[in-house]
Amino acid sequence: MGPDGRRAGRSGAIAMAVALALLLAAGVRIAGADGAGPRVQAQLVSELATIEPGGSFWVALRQVIAPRWHTYWENPGDSGEPATIDWSLPAGFEAGPIAWPHPERIPIGPFMSYGYEGEVLLLTRMKAPADLAPGRAVTLRARAGWLVCEKECIPEEAAVELTLQVGPRAARDSRWADAFARAIRAVPMPSPWPAEFTATAAEIEITVAAPGLAADRVADIWFYPREWGVIDHVGLQRAVVLRDGIRLAVARGALSRTAEQPIEGVLVVKERIDGSVTTQAFAIRAVPAGPARLGAGSALALAQAAGLALLGGVLLNLMPCVLPVLSVKALSLVQHAGAAPWVARAHGLAYTAGILVSFGALAGVLIALRSAGEQIGWGFQLQSPIVVAVLAYLLFAMGLSLSGVMTIGGRIAGVGSGLARRPGYAGSFFTGALATVAATPCTAPFMGAAVGFAMTRPVGEALAVFEALGLGLALPYLALSFVPAHHLLPRPGPWMERLKQFLAFPLYASVAWLVWVLSQQVGPAGVAAALAGLVLIAFGAWLHEVSRGAAPRWRRAATAMAALAVVAAVVAGQVGASAGPRAPGPGVARETEPEAFSPARLAELRAQGVPVFVNFTAAWCITCLVNERVALRSPAVAEALAGQGIAYLKADWTRRDPEITRILESFGRSGVPLYVLYPPARGTGAGSGEPAVLPAVLTEGVVLDAIARIRSSAVQ
Amino acid sequence: MTRPELTRRVFLARAAAGAVVAGAAGSALSPRPAWAAAKVGAPAPAFTAPATTGNPVSLGDYRGKIVVLEWTNHDCPYVRKHYETGNMQALQKEATEQGAIWLTLISSAPGEQGHVSPAQANGLTTSRKAAPTAVLIDAKGTVGQAYGATNTPHMYVIDTNGVLVYAGAIDDRPTSRRSDVQGAQNYVREALQAVASGHPVKTATTRAYGCTVKYL
Repeated sequence: MGPDGRRAGRSGAIAMAVALALLLAAGVRIAGADGAGPRVQAQLVSELATIEPGGSFWVALRQVIAPRWHTYWENPGDSGEPATIDWSLPAGFEAGPIAWPHPERIPIGPFMSYGYEGEVLLLTRMKAPADLAPGRAVTLRARAGWLVCEKECIPEEAAVELTLQVGPRAARDSRWADAFARAIRAVPMPSPWPAEFTATAAEIEITVAAPGLAADRVADIWFYPREWGVIDHVGLQRAVVLRDGIRLAVARGALSRTAEQPIEGVLVVKERIDGSVTTQAFAIRAVPAGPARLGAGSALALAQAAGLALLGGVLLNLMPCVLPVLSVKALSLVQHAGAAPWVARAHGLAYTAGILVSFGALAGVLIALRSAGEQIGWGFQLQSPIVVAVLAYLLFAMGLSLSGVMTIGGRIAGVGSGLARRPGYAGSFFTGALATVAATPCTAPFMGAAVGFAMTRPVGEALAVFEALGLGLALPYLALSFVPAHHLLPRPGPWMERLKQFLAFPLYASVAWLVWVLSQQVGPAGVAAALAGLVLIAFGAWLHEVSRGAAPRWRRAATAMAALAVVAAVVAGQVGASAGPRAPGPGVARETEPEAFSPARLAELRAQGVPVFVNFTAAWCITCLVNERVALRSPAVAEALAGQGIAYLKADWTRRDPEITRILESFGRSGVPLYVLYPPARGTGAGSGEPAVLPAVLTEGVVLDAIARIRSSAVQ
Repeated sequence: MTRPELTRRVFLARAAAGAVVAGAAGSALSPRPAWAAAKVGAPAPAFTAPATTGNPVSLGDYRGKIVVLEWTNHDCPYVRKHYETGNMQALQKEATEQGAIWLTLISSAPGEQGHVSPAQANGLTTSRKAAPTAVLIDAKGTVGQAYGATNTPHMYVIDTNGVLVYAGAIDDRPTSRRSDVQGAQNYVREALQAVASGHPVKTATTRAYGCTVKYL
């Protein structure tokens, strides 16, 4: 836009108004005519109207790009050229490199470009010399060049300039405040998460260790490499949000590079928030994955993943969650030692079948729920407190049986342990199912990589990997059942009874572990309910035992009582489970961290007339995280909050606390982030202190402005 | 980190799971049509295309010779940079005088920028004093796609054994400024010199710069 830009640079509001008018006129001209005139209206703008000696400030080459045309990011993709700015600055001024806002992907025919459409501010950090004399004006000049393309490309160039006043104190230029805030926000922030990559001849897989993100909120993920040739720009990027982070598989680019070089680029994540989408950009530097992760640092093929899963399954037998179940199996092995070899083998096969069927069922449910948008993972069933409680009851009942508190006679087949220890093959089958349910929350070496792989693959491949895992789990027992055990074992005798009693203890240990899991999920109330349930189970077991041999009438009554006890235990477990997420305990608040939110605390502070800022957030919310980093944790915001005596509460909705949900709904929101500033409540009269809702995407300025507004209203 | 998260991490998340296919990154866009893009170090894809003289030309015709492929679009500012400064023509003369074959390819589809009739192409060769061995019209883009040509100019060098030894830009100044021709490191010249003297090509793959090839 050359001439327009030069005019725009003249100082004063009149010149700016003229420039804006020209700009508008130019826009109309481009829209109306076909291809005449420049495609990009460029001008130099500054966040400051008045600069101070020695100060640093942002300036920007502002490009207003004609509709359907685009300019380029620092890596333009398959073709194109990034803009250049050659500065001619007054003595002592220093300009930094262009701070590139994250690009958009712009498909052009079979190619992919990385660039900008509409409007973009290419930021440059400018430093003024300390010996600048206040009261004068300085003019920054630059020769800017860029390539602008629709389908065809036109190189454009412009001389741009900007005149700024020098004063004793810096003063903002309100005209560009919003544009600069947006542009600064669009510059990728250093990734809060480490990243690594593995490479094969065809693909590069980047793993970003961002645990606990909500996959259903992620609308889009794209990795823009800083350099050409690292990845195939136009190739499909397969991104998945796993519980432990983001995994992204991309086709390799033409440039062969050694595997040791880190891959740098920008990860752009679009997150859905209450019907709208926010964009966050993170500067990523992926280092080669350590050999510990995936062996030779190569991405997995299906066969490899299945192999690892098999190995992981075998090792799973040694993990604390499976071991107790195996003690039951060990016992049955001993008990079958005297029988014909084919009996033990048939039991081994039934057990294997039980594992494979239940692995298949769990994997099927997982895949189905996942495709329905549920954010769940392997071991998801133990995220439900009631499942954890029932599993604890089951293992406890089995332990009681081994301890001799109760003898399973096969008459109450409905008791799970009875089912699992039934002499028939169904018993072996259900032991397999039980082993599966108990095993899934545990992870063994080699397993993580295989499961992670399965999560990113089509149904068939995923099932194959999970079944390999199940086969691995079944394998040791299956192998043992094919070895004639009576050669290896001492003769049957009292030692078998003592072994049986001893094997109850691993089961009790598992129960203790499950109660601990519950304590983390539902807090003290839930634990109390579960423990009461365990007492009821023990009571039911005792009743069941003492009524053996009693008159049928008593027997029936005792059975009914026992059943009632079990039902009561499950109900207790259910009540415990709904006891709700535990309140954040003491010691959660750290350093400058905000206080934990509760409606009571909010009411208390407001009753005292204290202004309150509430940050409704969640660990899986990316925008929340970015807002905290770029705005809420900034020293200026901390100072302003403290200076105004504003209490800062953090409402953690990671576990979708129903109390917080209600408050979100009262603000018409169905999710986080939400930022609410409650002004000091004045008196008891009406109109005192309507809460101010801040935008979902925060900048330091937005928060400071909101704080300033409540201050001014408080002064009135 | 609050403790509930710790729980999850210890007992559940470590099971490595929790996957939901995150948004179809890229669902809006289909992957590149299966282009068997030529690989440096591998045999150059064979092709036959009509030359502007009317006869078809095959890569196989030039077995035993060094072959340079140049994708072009005479209206592209980056192509014009190299033709209006005489840079491209000088390189063509240099190569062909040393016995190399220089094939200029035009993959612009009919109606797109850079598409020309054989007669127009010959006119351009004359008016620009260009010195290619032949100019090939690849209006369907099959040759371009076999080589993964993305830009104009996009340059390829094939050695006497038919192996692709260079793919990428003409030089290291990815701009359309004519002043940048002077003093640029010319990758094609370097590749030709290396092949002629039996040395490996030091810089074998670079980012081609210019306008996109205007395929169908």
